[in-house]
Amino acid sequence: MSETAAGRGWGGQDVRRELHSELLEINMGPQHPATHGVLRLLVRTDGEIVHGVTAHIGYLHRCAEKIAEGCDWRQWMVYTDRFDYLAPINMNFGYAVAVERMLGVKVPERAEHIRVICAELQRIASHLIAIGTFGLDMGAWTPLLYCFREREEILNILERLTGGRMLYNYFDIGGLRFDAYDGFERDVLAFVNIMEQKIPEYDTLLSYNKIFIERTADVGVIDLATCLAYGCTGPVLRGAGVPFDCRKDDPYSIYDRFEFDIPYGEGEQGTVGDCWDRYMVRMREMYESCRIIRQAVDALPGGPVKAEDLKKLVKVPQGSLYTRTESSKGEIGYHVFADGGSKPFRTKVRSPSFSNLHVIEKVGPGMMLSDLVATVGSLDIVLGEIDR
Amino acid sequence: MEATAIHALLQSRFGDAVSDYVDGFEKGSLVAAARVAEIAAFLRDDPALGFESLMCLTGLDWDGYDASGKGKSVDILGYDELGRPQASDRVGDGDLGVAYALYSHRHGHKHTLFVRVPRAAPEVASTAAVWPTAAWHEREAWDLVGIRFAGHPDLKRILLDEDWVGHPLRKDYAMPGDWQGVPLDGRDYAACKWDESGVTLPDDVKRPDEPKQPDETTRPETGNQG
Amino acid sequence: MTQDRNDYVESVTPPAGYDPRREQCLDFHLAEDLAAMAGSDDKNFILTTVDNLFDWARLSSVWPVTFGLACCAIEMMAASATRYDIDRFGAGAFRATPRQADLMIVSGTVTAKMATRLKRIYEQMPEPKWVVAMGSCAIGGGPYFKYGYHVVKGVDFIVPVDVYIPGCPPRPEVLLDGLMRLQDKIRGRRDDAKPPKWVADYARKIPYVKR
Repeated sequence: MSETAAGRGWGGQDVRRELHSELLEINMGPQHPATHGVLRLLVRTDGEIVHGVTAHIGYLHRCAEKIAEGCDWRQWMVYTDRFDYLAPINMNFGYAVAVERMLGVKVPERAEHIRVICAELQRIASHLIAIGTFGLDMGAWTPLLYCFREREEILNILERLTGGRMLYNYFDIGGLRFDAYDGFERDVLAFVNIMEQKIPEYDTLLSYNKIFIERTADVGVIDLATCLAYGCTGPVLRGAGVPFDCRKDDPYSIYDRFEFDIPYGEGEQGTVGDCWDRYMVRMREMYESCRIIRQAVDALPGGPVKAEDLKKLVKVPQGSLYTRTESSKGEIGYHVFADGGSKPFRTKVRSPSFSNLHVIEKVGPGMMLSDLVATVGSLDIVLGEIDR
Repeated sequence: MEATAIHALLQSRFGDAVSDYVDGFEKGSLVAAARVAEIAAFLRDDPALGFESLMCLTGLDWDGYDASGKGKSVDILGYDELGRPQASDRVGDGDLGVAYALYSHRHGHKHTLFVRVPRAAPEVASTAAVWPTAAWHEREAWDLVGIRFAGHPDLKRILLDEDWVGHPLRKDYAMPGDWQGVPLDGRDYAACKWDESGVTLPDDVKRPDEPKQPDETTRPETGNQG
Repeated sequence: MTQDRNDYVESVTPPAGYDPRREQCLDFHLAEDLAAMAGSDDKNFILTTVDNLFDWARLSSVWPVTFGLACCAIEMMAASATRYDIDRFGAGAFRATPRQADLMIVSGTVTAKMATRLKRIYEQMPEPKWVVAMGSCAIGGGPYFKYGYHVVKGVDFIVPVDVYIPGCPPRPEVLLDGLMRLQDKIRGRRDDAKPPKWVADYARKIPYVKR
């Protein structure tokens, strides 16, 4: 791969001297169907071979970190929704955990269980979009339609639970805004039963499709050392063969009570850490999420869903803390600096896609142009959290 | 390894460059800005420390920070209800800072490095050579807070455009009225009309290709129809 | 032709026994026209202007440009996907190039950096073209109004907007409704786009500005 970057072709000949070709700079984005939002990739190509990738971001910079300094601790929960709009509950979760740890608040058991159920439902919904749009990047339109079918079922449950279809603002500091409706457990279990049967359907439709494997296996290999150096987390890191997951390795909430496995890439169809591995990690994580949901629903206790001893206007004691949780894209971290008042002094959001996208500048050179699209698709980026 | 032991190890190795042990919600060390890069390299390469992962790099502005813990820090400026930028004649002072949240996959321990630099000459040694992920985080810190990173391979703005004026996450940052002809302030909402015939916007809606109109001092009294 | 099309439609009396609800035509007003034609003496022609005919043809194939900005883009995708299927109303052919598109759905927050690109994409679209501002960010900055130093407070600062769809984000149903309001507008029936009286009454009570 790196030989090609130096101007060597597949046969080892010096491509640039023999063809007298010049490097061509092309813009992918910010309005481009394969960039998953308003990402702009400046690609230097020699024919079909990519020689350099520069990612230009900031087209969706919505000043959320500045807004944090202007509104109080609870109010900012609304803006965390809008980072990763495919998995807003996971974003809420991270911020709620961050502030609760600094406050020293004990969240009621029922709230913790509902939080876990919501977060795992949301993880499935987000992975469904990731898989569907990845298929779309590979030219497969059908999986997207199937994925949206199941996603709508999840949104139905969450809408009935929270009142919002896509952005929920359901988590509150110290618990939830309100309790679950009657029959919530039944709906969730019914969905999980359906979902577990649908996953093999996706496998036959996409995962083991020969064309799909040709397009993704051995493509866009990101090895472990690169992942660690570039701060890649989530399915990208797990796809590189490391079963690292904040839910297990840096436990928060009540995840240490549940039994689940961390899927990781094993190079089943090609090299460890290729696009197919990252894709398959997501697919298997949906199974694991279903397992967690079942256990959480079984153990769902009664009781309050809000911490009792918490004022409406919370004041976080002075200090700073970096808290990370596992969102569907990877490690979402909030580095919160408090001055003892009712507003955050500074909140830095360490978003998983930000680091996951950075690695494209490292692995991009040497690829075919179409493989670049596959790699960007397999990273599953959301521009809302990259630009914040 | 315990955070105090990490701090002691750093202090024995780097002497004056590592000053205070920070004991709060997260444990860490306050280090000298100019020597962050070598400290970072040591943290990563020492087998007992093994911080191969930089989780987060935060740039922040300590201007107007209430150290007493009462939460009386300075308020930031925004737009008012009519979308006009608020102004203040307060001049910012106080240090800028950087925080590095580190994690070791090998040992499972965390440590945070804190750096403070004077506002007049905010320069920190770049750690992009140690942790490549820092390159983008440092660009973001330069973009939003205005901290220069010496030795960064490509220090330029990342989220905002190159010709943006000011660093928005500074506490004394005043909101811009426009940028490259794109209006960023709001319109006069009192002059909007909404009744049975639909919504009527004010006639002087600013277009990006037209010169910006000077602010009107008086608003029409008939706006909003009640 | 001075006579307004709306007057023409309203002046026609349908034949006795004709129930317009039974007509499953794509365009309700076309159904009225056909019914009128069937009931009249001269059965073989409809009087209309070329403009009206073109508008009628256009409104059922409004092709949007693939232009997702933020959160609302996901709801736009949902509207075009399995359950909601915007294709039923002729607007399902999302074009990746603005040169083949009629409609720009500004789905999400317009930032300063994006505004210049948005204007360029708008200018690349051929006439006639329409713009839908989807979601509160595109309408007026939304939740990013007060401290949004990088957010344009409404896409109508940049390009003229035909239909505003409120919500954060709007449900796909509302997007479909907005599309129908746009179809009304293309058809030339501005009256349909007018909100009912209770909406205007309600709107008056909303305190927009502290005065």
